[in-house]
Amino acid sequence: MTAVTGKQRRSMARALSRAADASVAEVLASARGSMGVCRWIGVTGPPGAGKSSLIAALARHRLGRDGNIAILAVDPTSPVSGGAILGDRIRMEDLAHNPRVYIRSLASRTSHDGLADNLPDILEIVENAGFAEAILETVGVGQVEYAVRHVVDTTLLVLMPGAGDQIQAMKSGILETADIFVVNKADQPGARQLAVVLASVLKLKASDGQGTGDGWLPPIVSTSVQDPASVAALAEAIDRHQAWLAGRQDVGKRLEKRRAQHVESLVVRRVAEVLDQLPVELLHAPLASLYEAVVGRLTESAPSSGVAREPKERTILSR
Amino acid sequence: MTETSEAAVLRGKRILIAKPGLDGHDVGAKVIALALRDAGAEVIYTGLRKTPDYIARIAVDEDVDAVGLSVLSGSHRDLVKQTRASLEAIEAGDIPIFLGGTIPAEDWPDLYALGVQRIYTSEMPLADVIASIAETLK
Repeated sequence: MTAVTGKQRRSMARALSRAADASVAEVLASARGSMGVCRWIGVTGPPGAGKSSLIAALARHRLGRDGNIAILAVDPTSPVSGGAILGDRIRMEDLAHNPRVYIRSLASRTSHDGLADNLPDILEIVENAGFAEAILETVGVGQVEYAVRHVVDTTLLVLMPGAGDQIQAMKSGILETADIFVVNKADQPGARQLAVVLASVLKLKASDGQGTGDGWLPPIVSTSVQDPASVAALAEAIDRHQAWLAGRQDVGKRLEKRRAQHVESLVVRRVAEVLDQLPVELLHAPLASLYEAVVGRLTESAPSSGVAREPKERTILSR
Repeated sequence: MTETSEAAVLRGKRILIAKPGLDGHDVGAKVIALALRDAGAEVIYTGLRKTPDYIARIAVDEDVDAVGLSVLSGSHRDLVKQTRASLEAIEAGDIPIFLGGTIPAEDWPDLYALGVQRIYTSEMPLADVIASIAETLK
């Protein structure tokens, strides 16, 4: 399949909404499975690094070769209203005219790891729709976003000039988990310096034997969306990583990681549901009793079948 | 319950805010987008100067519950007609259209006849607009 046509697009779009809206109970009740073979590229990095524009450039480049491409972009849900402004696709405008591209904006909802609720189910729907390749853009708010590597094949960390301090802050976080480092906006002052700092930090880690711990040495690629050759170089680095993966890791291992992430996200949501339903008096009990009560409720009661969006931020913290 | 949950009358709704045509003013569209978000909606904003076909395509891909068109150029009649046609061409004619902007009252009957669900002008209090949208999408 190359183009996703009218009817298919709408039914896929609706299936994605249903998956995103499913409560913990509904997720557990549904039996899904992935039949598709799809290469997932995860793109993370601080706000303003140019993730969305770079994704658009990368997708344009790869469409020349592959049949079709799906892009999922996550933006943050307001913890106050539960609403969200989903604006990533503004930067991918010209792509959206291409019938071989499907772009979907997702709100993070209750997730705090840069991803969105029920993301594994959402990824499976994209895979089963026959996309050969797909790109996932995380929220991009902090250094906790290494969850993305559990659900994709290749993780890109996109940084921009002037991000030297960010690197210091990230040293022990996502720097250890990215497969490819991208110095974006490489036409701006400070890009070279950023690449040098990154290289030295990575070299230090490699000599410590820290790396990503599996033998892959993450390359640093400098890109500018105005420079097609730099985007091509990034695409090539992604291909190299995926060829390397294919040589050493079977699909089964990725599915294991994804399932672990999935069950973790469901348990976290379930804990929030339990906390929400906890009698206020219990909050004055000693911490150990409170803990016992929460764990007890987790094991004895079934997940509520309410709509997933309802309990959102109604946790202990917001009382 | 949180203190804000009553205000979140659009919780669970996805709404596309679109600027068709050539006028380059999107303050109103952005104000509405933020108000919808604050009412709990997930809002997709297209940016300026989009074609009806493009808007319809995004409405389908994003599986929105409604499309809000913001038009200040005076060509609201044509743009509504074209957007409706574009939606129908991809079998999405069931998605409701809201219209906002400078829309003279004498045009309203025609616009309703073209399938616009509700019309909002800048004189209307924001809270009333949100309440009306929530009521319509119930």
